[in-house]
Amino acid sequence: MRKIVFFLLMALLCVVTVSGTALAQVDWKQFQGTEIRFLMNKHPFTTFIEPKIPEFEKLTGIKVVFEVFPEDQYRNKRTIELNAGGKLDGYMIMPGQDDLYYSKAGWLQPLDDYIKDPKLTDAAWDPKDFFKSFTQASTVAGKQIGVVINAETSLLSYRKDLFDQFKVKVPATMKELEETAKFFHGKEVEGKKMVGITLRGKSAAATSQWVDFLYSFGGSWTNAQGKSNFASAQDIAAFKFYGDLLRNYGPEGGTMLHWAESTSVFMEGKAAMIYDANVFKSLYENPKESKVAGKVGYAVIPAGPAGSVPHVSNWSLSINKNSTPARQKAAWLFIQWATNKPNALGALLAGVPAGRASAWDSAEYKAGDKQPDWTLGTKKSFELGQPQWNPPVINVPEIRDITGQVIVDAIQGKDVAESAKKAAELMDKKMEI
Amino acid sequence: MSNALTAVSRFVDRRQSLVYPAPAMIALFLIVVLPIAFNLYLAFTKWTVGLGQPRFIGLDNFIELVSDERVLNGIKVMVYFSGLSLFLELALGLLIALYFNREFRGSEAVQAIYIFPFAATPVAVALIWRVMLNPEIGVLNYLLRGIGLPGSLWVSGEHTAVLSLVMVDVWKWTPMITLIVLAGLKSLPPDPYEAARIDGATALQIFWYITLPLIRPVLIAALMLRSLDNLKEFDMIYTITQGGPGIASETLYLYSYQVAFGFFKAGYGSALMVLVFMIVLVFNVIMNRMRLSALDR
Repeated sequence: MRKIVFFLLMALLCVVTVSGTALAQVDWKQFQGTEIRFLMNKHPFTTFIEPKIPEFEKLTGIKVVFEVFPEDQYRNKRTIELNAGGKLDGYMIMPGQDDLYYSKAGWLQPLDDYIKDPKLTDAAWDPKDFFKSFTQASTVAGKQIGVVINAETSLLSYRKDLFDQFKVKVPATMKELEETAKFFHGKEVEGKKMVGITLRGKSAAATSQWVDFLYSFGGSWTNAQGKSNFASAQDIAAFKFYGDLLRNYGPEGGTMLHWAESTSVFMEGKAAMIYDANVFKSLYENPKESKVAGKVGYAVIPAGPAGSVPHVSNWSLSINKNSTPARQKAAWLFIQWATNKPNALGALLAGVPAGRASAWDSAEYKAGDKQPDWTLGTKKSFELGQPQWNPPVINVPEIRDITGQVIVDAIQGKDVAESAKKAAELMDKKMEI
Repeated sequence: MSNALTAVSRFVDRRQSLVYPAPAMIALFLIVVLPIAFNLYLAFTKWTVGLGQPRFIGLDNFIELVSDERVLNGIKVMVYFSGLSLFLELALGLLIALYFNREFRGSEAVQAIYIFPFAATPVAVALIWRVMLNPEIGVLNYLLRGIGLPGSLWVSGEHTAVLSLVMVDVWKWTPMITLIVLAGLKSLPPDPYEAARIDGATALQIFWYITLPLIRPVLIAALMLRSLDNLKEFDMIYTITQGGPGIASETLYLYSYQVAFGFFKAGYGSALMVLVFMIVLVFNVIMNRMRLSALDR
């Protein structure tokens, strides 16, 4: 009896699903023959989606041209090309980094009208399936300007084996984090002298991880008047804690650690903990590159006075506002296809954190998940996440440079309050909103 | 038709001095004069790439750079880095050239190996140095600690960053100076040396009163060639430190790049480039005067 009910329900479900898609049918061939050009960052998502493009071209008859560049060149090339106004229909963007600048320059096409139009957007695309924090992060002045393809946050990663061996518990507060770092710092393990924790310290590059400490200490980029908040007690506390942690319990030469240097210290087995982007799990757990594969545990950032507040950041796909309407719509069909449920799941299975809840909740993902604590921490961080991981200004790189100088001063043990005050004045002078 | 051809041919005949260099002049104008002129124009504008058109703001950019701490820092780093590395390269280059300027077994092989640093690709070499200089996993500290010395922070230290970069620059470019000086030494006339030896001059006296004055123009030429590159040293510093830690090794040239291509502030970036241009220009005018006066003597 139970079996029959189950089958009936399944059949009903199938009918509902099929008719549901049938009702809001999108004519995928409506832009047949159009050619669209995308500028892409050399990123795991690009590696995943590029070989699948023929599927899309078969479905739509649209020809997709991909041009892929390594990240540093990519950012320069994208800005210069958009400014020159050549034939470019879509591109990858980190909204938290460039959305204000790019919207002011008029390079970001709002997507809301496409999403609402049943002729252009399949009901199965299901915009509600995306985590809210990422949709919010890809929204400027109430308009959605991108669709998330890579959802990032940061996690505390630690040596599970050593924590077990020395019976140390995973730090839940900032105070415990410091104590744990102190405990491990200088310990001899397997003939190696350990450092307590490794963090990014390289000026502007460090700001994207430091910001989680800023929020967890109750600080912020700007105050209620829209002025720099660096001179506030909370901001100074965050600068100081971060700098002290890295100077006292981190690797030597902390001010030159970018993510590549910081993660290699951890992967060499020389650090008990690292705080950096969750996506680096794929590095830590790769036995060819890493000596700590299989020995790493993951947790959300320990709580500061204001709780645990990690940032969330993302890469999105966006459409060039200066492209032609037909090509823009063709580009939308591509973005829609690239971010549909099967592709989001496929990307996640290939190691690219998806912005869709359905991908994380799927049986396929859960069955192959070797680090459930990473999944748990990542999902929790997505919920807690603060999308404003960069200063809320147009000239983000310039203000990040100013912020980075305070971080460097803090790591070098200089007077943090003095440095923060100076940076606040400079930020007020330089920031463009 | 043939009339027109004749007319063209006659025109060319009459103005050969204008017509033949014209393609080269036009190319030069397009790739040298025009960009410099455009850069000069941008220096008087406010322009963030993408946000509207360049807006003329007169001298504002130059007023801003006077109060910009990173400009002052950039000039300091530039003077420190260039002064020290040029001095060391010239001194060491001269000494090594004197050493090589005699016959010894395998001198050719040694010289061939010796020029390797400056023949190698700058960025590739810089990347290798960057790893070697890493205080935690680099080989330099490993060796130092191996012989019982404390390690150094190298480029990660606020006070050792520029010195470490000078070390790499000296390693890379001393061979070039040696090569130029060596060519100069080989072309010196033998007569004064014979005369000096007959008069009983010591080796030091020969060096000081004969060799040094005779190769002065060569030394100054080598210094000029090297300083042109050294003052705008970019690839090595950018690859190894990117100006860090903080701005401890950020030369004016690196800062200009960051403003123009990191912040996309093309107007202010151009003003900074004008400043760099002026500094290099003044330096080279002085050097050229010195070279000419050395030749006159």
